[in-house]
Amino acid sequence: MDEPRDFIASFMDDYFAESEEHLATARQHLLLLEAAMHDDELPTAIVDELFRSFHSLKGISAMVELREAEQLAHEMESCLARIRERRSVLTPPVFETLVSATNVLEQVIVGRREGSAIPSIDQALAQFATVGASSSSRDQPPGTSTVQTHAAHSPIRVTFTPTADLVARGVRVDTIRTRLSDTGHIERVAPRITKDGGITFEFLVTGIPDDTLRSWRDDGVTFEVIEPAAVPRPVEIPATTPGPANYVRVDLGRLDDLMRFVSDLVVSRARLEDTLLRVESYVPAAIWRTLEEHTESIERQLGDLREGVMRVRLVPVSEIFRRMPFVVRDLARDAGKQVQLELVGQSTEIDKFLIERMMDPVLHLVRNAVSHGIESPEERITAGKRPDGTIRLAASTVGESVVIEVSDDGRGIDADAISRRAREAGLDVPHGELHAQALLDVISLPGFSTRDEADRASGRGIGMSVVRDSIQELGGSLSVVTTAGAGTTFRAVLPLTLAITDALIVHVGSRTFAVPQSAIQEVADIDSSAVRAIEHNELVVHRGMPLPVVRLAQLFGIDSLERQRLHVIIVGSGLGAVGILVDRISGQREIVVKALHDPLVTVTGISGASELGDGQLVLILDVAGLTRTLRHRGTAIRAAV
Amino acid sequence: MSTNQSGDTTKARPYILFSVAGTTYALPSDQVRHMEMVGQITAVPNAAPFIEGVAFSRGQVVPVINLRVRFGFERQVPDLRSRLLIVEVNSRHIGLLADSAREFVPIADDLIHPPSEAIGGLSGSYVSGVATIDERIILILNMSPLVDTTPNIAA
Repeated sequence: MDEPRDFIASFMDDYFAESEEHLATARQHLLLLEAAMHDDELPTAIVDELFRSFHSLKGISAMVELREAEQLAHEMESCLARIRERRSVLTPPVFETLVSATNVLEQVIVGRREGSAIPSIDQALAQFATVGASSSSRDQPPGTSTVQTHAAHSPIRVTFTPTADLVARGVRVDTIRTRLSDTGHIERVAPRITKDGGITFEFLVTGIPDDTLRSWRDDGVTFEVIEPAAVPRPVEIPATTPGPANYVRVDLGRLDDLMRFVSDLVVSRARLEDTLLRVESYVPAAIWRTLEEHTESIERQLGDLREGVMRVRLVPVSEIFRRMPFVVRDLARDAGKQVQLELVGQSTEIDKFLIERMMDPVLHLVRNAVSHGIESPEERITAGKRPDGTIRLAASTVGESVVIEVSDDGRGIDADAISRRAREAGLDVPHGELHAQALLDVISLPGFSTRDEADRASGRGIGMSVVRDSIQELGGSLSVVTTAGAGTTFRAVLPLTLAITDALIVHVGSRTFAVPQSAIQEVADIDSSAVRAIEHNELVVHRGMPLPVVRLAQLFGIDSLERQRLHVIIVGSGLGAVGILVDRISGQREIVVKALHDPLVTVTGISGASELGDGQLVLILDVAGLTRTLRHRGTAIRAAV
Repeated sequence: MSTNQSGDTTKARPYILFSVAGTTYALPSDQVRHMEMVGQITAVPNAAPFIEGVAFSRGQVVPVINLRVRFGFERQVPDLRSRLLIVEVNSRHIGLLADSAREFVPIADDLIHPPSEAIGGLSGSYVSGVATIDERIILILNMSPLVDTTPNIAA
């Protein structure tokens, strides 16, 4: 029996990846379905998509002999098929069953992947049996009458508007429902709020003669026939929904390889250019110009290629966000809270590497918002708020950063309670009132938890300390703003290009630095005699313009021999342009940026460090910071003169 | 999670002992993430004099404090006995460069006395207590002032 087991094992990774994809699609469409549930027409396209997802899940689960998943997916598929064929009605209980079964299905698959216990699917199956039974009673339409004026299945929209008079006469919505179901077949029913705040009930029925309906007019019943051509109309799915066929799943490792190849190419091109410069004087001018044109177009094309590869790594932040409605829904229901989730900026693009590492931190912040931030409806009403709280999940690109914010309009963080609890737990807490950042420090201490009871959110989640660590490890930062009674906002700022950027590796004396390529306008060679001192500043004339320069050796107090040839790295543009003088440039490469946050090593001109693969760190120049101080110095000097 | 093993009656906690310029110091072991031999440390220009630089440790970039310089002794080139203690203070990770680091020792709370006037005057606020074990004098370090950016704590 070992052989087939191995055979299956080799497919498991593919299975998990694929099932995750199908589950993600299913979740997304369940949400669309929920939104469209009360529409007049059955959202066929969504039901179809869900059907396909569960059908595929059933198939692949059967292939890996995950029987529980197969069975569940089968039930869901059948349920959806009944809905699609209008043998069953999509009611809220049916919808709930689909949602909870999706969650169980996910747990089954996760259980298998983690090698942990696979949850029982009996309850989910039983739920299907219940909702299935109630809908199957309508599997057979009642006998059709010959006096119909419409085809048996031409749907009619029947509207019932209850009034006090009608209620007094004993005509309620139940009465009408009974009449309709006795005479014909009710496809769907939904309450509607009218513009003036009243309520009406809309029934979609088939098989009821016009005359019968007309005779109920005095009982508050109106009706209109829906032309067959208009039904069913497929629901338009928002453009963000990934089509099934236009995507390729790529191992991130392969993208990294591609990126490395491109980086190697960039270095090779730089060497080629170097060599070319050395042969310039031996080459006839006309040929030289052609050569130059060629290397320039290679450079341009390389740039495009690099950007293209980078873009492949970018994915919309919705990959994180789309899981959240489920989390919020489940948690809110369990906690007896009412929560609206607002998603903003879902199309904001962020590196795949970051997406994967931000999933858990964001999940944790959202869980915290539900379990600690948002109050119970009663508490909110007492506080004069709407009973339902709002959690806002927003992403945006700000300059070179991606900002992800998780806000709630809940009770805010009680600083006193936090410090008390932290002290009780034996943690080192600064005395006096805690400002927001100190508060974050405290709740991020390992071992800190705000709740005595292991509630569901913190019980299986990760601590705030892990949230902050993971964000910092990505070169980002986390901050919090909280107002008692009004809510809390957690704000994660992440580097746009994740931790990977291209940099020029430069040398000054025995030190090595990396200069982010994105900051560099131009690199030029100059003779040291071209550097002229003007008052306290040094400058060179570059392209006919005076360019202030700074010697990195001097700025950083590094011993370096006076050299004949210097390299000037020009950063900034126009009047803000500054040249940084270095001894040597050894190449260009992709570096993984680790930000330097600690106050001990926060110095002007250094933004971070990168490990070049041999355990050695090089410091990354903060070009913006450097030019800023130079400008200030310049201004100060000008002001003093 | 916590390695704090204080008992109900004896209250002995584990400490890590290390030496700097001939003096033995101790830090509660739950503040020390791990110890390692000293690899490449990259100097950070314009940082405080007691900053040795930054080191790459377990995927993280940590600032390294040279304890000799921090305590007012002369800088020495790290050797095979030198150790880097990666500590965690207020969710910051910081490397402490010590001449050597040897052992875990449980020290009972009642063996730790407040620093005497003489020691207090000599080594400033970074000593929180003094313990005597087998005639060895051990200074218990107070981490917060140590990792502060204040230039001179030894005064």
